Amino acid sequence: MSESIGQIISGLHPLERKVLAVFAQQPAAWDHELLQRTGLDESRLAMALGWLQSKGVIGVEEERGSRLVSLTELGRNYARVEIPERRIMKELTAGRPILIQELRERLGLEQLEVSTAVGNLKQHGIARVGQGGALELVSGELPPQVVGLTELISRLNQAAAPVADEIIDVEDRHILYDYIDKHWKTRGIFKFYEKVTKRHKLTALGVDLVARLPEEASGDVIGQLTPEMLKDGTWKGKAFRKYHIELNPPRIAMGSAHPYRQFLHDVQIKLISMGFEEMQGPLVESEFWNMDALYMPQFHPARDIHDVYFPKDLAPADDIDPALLERVAVTHERGGASGSAGWRYTFDRARARQPILRSQGTAVSARTLAGKPRVPGKYFSIARCFRYDQVDATHAPDFFQIEGVVLDRATTFRALLGLLKLFAAELAKADEIKFLPAYFPFTEPSVELHARHPRLGWIELGGAGLFRPEVTMPMGVEVPVIAWGLGLDRMAMVAMGLHDIRDLFSTDLEFLRTLRPPSALSSEPGT
Amino acid sequence: MPTITIRRSDLAGLLKPSGRPSALTDETLHGLLPLVKGELKEAGGDGDELKIELNDSNRPDWWCAEGIARQLRLHRAPAAGQPLRLRRRGRLAQIRVERPVMAIRPFLGACIARNLPIDAALLEQIIQTQEKLAEIFGQKRRSLSIGYYRLDPLQFPLTYTAVKPTGAVFVPLGMEQPLTLEAILDEHPKGREYGHLLKGATRLPYFKDAAGQPLSFPPIVNSREVGEVRVGDRNLLIEVTGTDLRLVIMLVNLLAQNAADRGAMIEPVEVIYPNATPYGRRVVMPRDHSTPTVLKRDALFAVLGERLRDGEAVRALKQAGHRVAGAAGGWKVTPPPYRGDVMHPVDLIEDVAMMRGYGSLAPELPTSFTVGGVADRTRVEDHVRQWMIGLGFEEVLTNVLGARGDVLDKMGVEEPVVELENALSLQFAALRQWLLPSLLRVEAASAQAFYPHRIFEVGEVATVIEVPGGSPRAFTASGTRRSRTDLHLAALLASPAAAFSELHSALERFMLGAGATYRLTPASHPSFLDGRAGKISIGQQDAGWIGELHPAVLERWKITMPCVGWELALSRWPQAAAPGARLRDGRGPTSPS
Repeated sequence: MSESIGQIISGLHPLERKVLAVFAQQPAAWDHELLQRTGLDESRLAMALGWLQSKGVIGVEEERGSRLVSLTELGRNYARVEIPERRIMKELTAGRPILIQELRERLGLEQLEVSTAVGNLKQHGIARVGQGGALELVSGELPPQVVGLTELISRLNQAAAPVADEIIDVEDRHILYDYIDKHWKTRGIFKFYEKVTKRHKLTALGVDLVARLPEEASGDVIGQLTPEMLKDGTWKGKAFRKYHIELNPPRIAMGSAHPYRQFLHDVQIKLISMGFEEMQGPLVESEFWNMDALYMPQFHPARDIHDVYFPKDLAPADDIDPALLERVAVTHERGGASGSAGWRYTFDRARARQPILRSQGTAVSARTLAGKPRVPGKYFSIARCFRYDQVDATHAPDFFQIEGVVLDRATTFRALLGLLKLFAAELAKADEIKFLPAYFPFTEPSVELHARHPRLGWIELGGAGLFRPEVTMPMGVEVPVIAWGLGLDRMAMVAMGLHDIRDLFSTDLEFLRTLRPPSALSSEPGT
Repeated sequence: MPTITIRRSDLAGLLKPSGRPSALTDETLHGLLPLVKGELKEAGGDGDELKIELNDSNRPDWWCAEGIARQLRLHRAPAAGQPLRLRRRGRLAQIRVERPVMAIRPFLGACIARNLPIDAALLEQIIQTQEKLAEIFGQKRRSLSIGYYRLDPLQFPLTYTAVKPTGAVFVPLGMEQPLTLEAILDEHPKGREYGHLLKGATRLPYFKDAAGQPLSFPPIVNSREVGEVRVGDRNLLIEVTGTDLRLVIMLVNLLAQNAADRGAMIEPVEVIYPNATPYGRRVVMPRDHSTPTVLKRDALFAVLGERLRDGEAVRALKQAGHRVAGAAGGWKVTPPPYRGDVMHPVDLIEDVAMMRGYGSLAPELPTSFTVGGVADRTRVEDHVRQWMIGLGFEEVLTNVLGARGDVLDKMGVEEPVVELENALSLQFAALRQWLLPSLLRVEAASAQAFYPHRIFEVGEVATVIEVPGGSPRAFTASGTRRSRTDLHLAALLASPAAAFSELHSALERFMLGAGATYRLTPASHPSFLDGRAGKISIGQQDAGWIGELHPAVLERWKITMPCVGWELALSRWPQAAAPGARLRDGRGPTSPS
C-alpha cells in the first residue's frame, strides 16, 4: 500500500496537488468550493479531478442537478435592441397612433413578436387599439414585469457563462417562469441547460494519501504496470492496487457524423439505388437558370426583391448560351415554338443575366436539361437554397432542397404518380398517401404528395409535375420530363426531436453531441 | 398564394340550391377544396368563419367565395355555369380615357352592377377580393388595381385622365380633410404605401364624372364621397385600372361574374380610348375575349397515360368552365371570360385531370432502367468525411449565409466576398468564402461542451474571382467579379493545451489517406500567430492554411480557449484526392458522363 501511495504521490501533477491541498483541510468538497479555493478555472479543475478520480484518490459522494439559464439568439438580440414592448412604447410615445402592420415593418419584428408584445401592453392597460385598428398609448408606465424582464435579459447578457438558476433571485425567477409559461412557446428568449455539480470525497486511499502527502515513500503495491516490470519480471509476487471501477469515467468525445448531414447522405444513397444520378450547381445562380429557363415570368411575385437575394457588385452571368436565351425569351413573350401563347409581356434579356442566390433546387435541374441529358435519364440534386425570409423557427438562412427530374419517352402523369408513391414508400416508409392538385409555374399538371405520418398526421412530402413544354422545348428536350421535389426536413426533424429548423444547423456542440441521429429514412422516431 | 377568410354560410348560400351550411362540414370542405387548389387552414371561432389558402397564383378567379362556389357548382353540374346576365338600357354608360394618362397608367375598364344589396358581410368580401387581386395578382397594384363606387350619384360620361399633382382636390377614404393628389401621396397611408408606383410622373391619374365630381386617384385611393361603398347601397360601378388591357378586361369580367353570381344585373360600360388598342378604340366591358385552344385527343392521352372516352373528356372540360366544340382529332376549347391562365393545351389537360380527380388515375411505376451515381464532388466529400471522423473529429454543418464580420473582420482578413444587395439583417448578409469562421462560430457557442473539441466541416463556399477585363457589356449587374462555388474542408482543435503538432499530425494522416503529397511553408496570415502558421501546398498549387489562431482573433470571437485550425480548398486540388474521384470546381452542373 505504502509503495502505491508513494508512486501516486510522486506522479502527482501540480494541478492535482492544488486540489489535494483543499482536501487536506476538509474530506469532502463541492465543485464550486473547489473552484473558489483552488483558484483554478473550470476546465483545469475538471481535468485534475478526473485524474485524481481515475487514480482512485477521490470519488463522487453526491450529485446535484442544477438548471442553468442563458439567452437565445433572440434573447441576445433583445439585449441589444430592447424587447419589443419597450420599442413599441417608444414608437408610441413619439407621437401619433400606429397601425400594427406598420409597427411591425418599422421595427423589423416578426408577427408573433408584435402580437405578443401588443397583447402584453394591452393587458396592462398601456396601449389600446383605437380607431382604424391603430395602436395608441394610454399610459407611459411599463409594468414591473416588463421592467424586470428587461433587467433580467440585460443581466444574463452580461454574464460570461450561463447563470445557475439558483443564483437568480426569487423575483427574477418568478419573472422568468411566468414568461416561459405565457409566451414564446416555440421561440424562447431563454435557453436552459442541465448541469450536474458534484461533491467529491476522498476515498480510503485518498485519506491515506493526503495524510502522507509530504512523504516520499515506496511500497509493494503496484499502481501502474510498466513495460520495465514486464521485461524484468519485478511484478511477480507484488500486489496490484485495485481500481474503483464503479466510479464514472471521464467523458470523451467520439468522431462522429453530423446527424442531419448523415440523413441527407442516406437520402442520396436511396436515390442512387433507385437509379438517380446526382447533379450539382453553383450557390450563386443567374435569374436565367433560377427562373427564366423555368418559365417563371419576370413579373412573377416570387421574383421580387422581397423573395430572393441579390448579390452586390457581381458581373452578369456569362454561362448562358445566347441562342438558348433567345429561345427562352420568345417563349416567355409569345410562346415561341412551344405551342403556347406565352406570358405575353416584354422579356428583359439583360435581367436574365442578373446574378442571384439560388432560391430553388430546380435551377440545377434546368442546367441539366439544357446540358444534353440522357434519355431515359433520372437525376437528383441536394442543393443549398436561399430565400428572403426573416430567420425564425421555420426559416433557416439557407436550407437544402432535394429535387430532380426524370426524362423518358413514355413518361405520363400516371408514371409521375407512381414515382411519388415509390418515394413515399422508400424515403418515408409511408404507404398511406394522397395526391392533391398543386401549382408551380414550371409544371402542368402539378401535384402535391401528402403522406400520413404516425405522429403528425397528414404532411406534405413533396411536389411534382410534368415540365411545361415552354420549359423543355427551348432547351431542345423533346421527351416529357417529370420534375419532382421532396420536403423531408420536417420528417427528419421529428425523428431528431427538433422543433426549430435552425437546430439542423446548430453551432452548439453540446447540443449536437446529444442529438439523436434520425434512424435512416424512417418516419419513426430515431431509436 | 392568398389566404382568404370567408363565411361557411355565405359559401353554402352561393352553392344553392342544395346549400345548407350544415352540409358543408370541415370534412366535406377538405374533400372539395382540392378542386380549387385550396386548403382549409382554419375553421374559426364561431364555426362560420373559414380560412382558406388558394395555391394557384395564376387562377385569381378562385380567390373569393364566389369563385370557389362557382367551381364547385360547375363540378357538380357542368351545364349550370351561370352566364352573365347582361342588360343594356338605352345608350351605354361611357368612360373617356384622356391622352395624358396614357403614358402613366394607360388602361381602365369598368362595368355596372345593379340590384346588389350590400350588407356588412358582402362589403367585407368585396374589399377582401379587391385587396387580394390587386396585391397578389396585380403585383401590389403595379399592374392592376380595383375601385368600387356608388353608382347613383355619378353623372356619365366619366373621365379618366391625368392632372398636375395639385390639379385635383378631394377627401380621400379614411380622412376628414380634402387633400390635393400631391398631399395624398405625402400624407395618406395608401399614398405612402403605393406612391412609388407613380414615381417620376409629373401628372397623376385622376378619375372624375361629368359634373367634375372626383371618383378616385388610381391606383392610390378613392374619394370618400362616391368611392366609399356603404351598407345599404344597391348599385355599383366597378372599375379596374392597369398596365395591360387584356388583364384589365379579364378582371372586369371576373368581378362582373362575381356580382352576377350574387344576383346582380350587369350593365356593360364603354371605354373610349384616344387611340386604338388591340381591342379597338372603343372597348365595351365585360367582354368575352377568350380565344379557343385546340386540345388533341392524342396529347391528352399521352400526358395522362390514360385513354378517356370522348364524353368523359368533354364533361371534365365543361366542369372546369370551358366551352367545348369538336375539332379534328380533338376539341376546340374556349375558356370562360374570367380566366386568363390557359396558355397551352397542357393547361386544359390539368383541368381534365383535376376535375376527374387525381385519385382516379392509377399510379404506374416507371419502367426504364437507368444507372444511378453520385457526383464526383460528393464522392470526394464522402471520403473526406469518413477520414475526418476516423481521425476523431466531430462533424458540424452550418449555414453558408452569415455575417460579413464573421468571415472577414473577426478573422482579420480583407478580401472580396459575395455580399447581398438586399440583406434582411447584417447577421445574414454575406456568403462564406472559407469555413474556419464557421468552426469558430461553433467554438464560440460551445464553451459549455466538455473539451477537447475536435470539429470539422466539409462544405460549399463562395469564392470570388475577378473577371478579366471587367464587365463585358452593360447589363443590370455591373460588377467585375464572379462567384465560384468551391468545396472546402476545415478542421479545428480547441482545448486548454491545443497543440499545433496534434492538428499537424491529423493533417499528415489525412493527406496520406488522400494520396496527396503536400508541403508546409511557413508564412504569415492575419488569422494565425506568426511563426505558428503555414501555407499548405500540393504540387505547385496553394491548397490552404494551417495555424494556431491568433489570440486577437479569438478575442474578437469571445473565445477563451486556445485553438488550432486548418482549411483546405478541396476543389482546387490539381490531382485526385481519392482513388477514382476527380476534384472539380462546383461551377455548372456535373455533366452526365
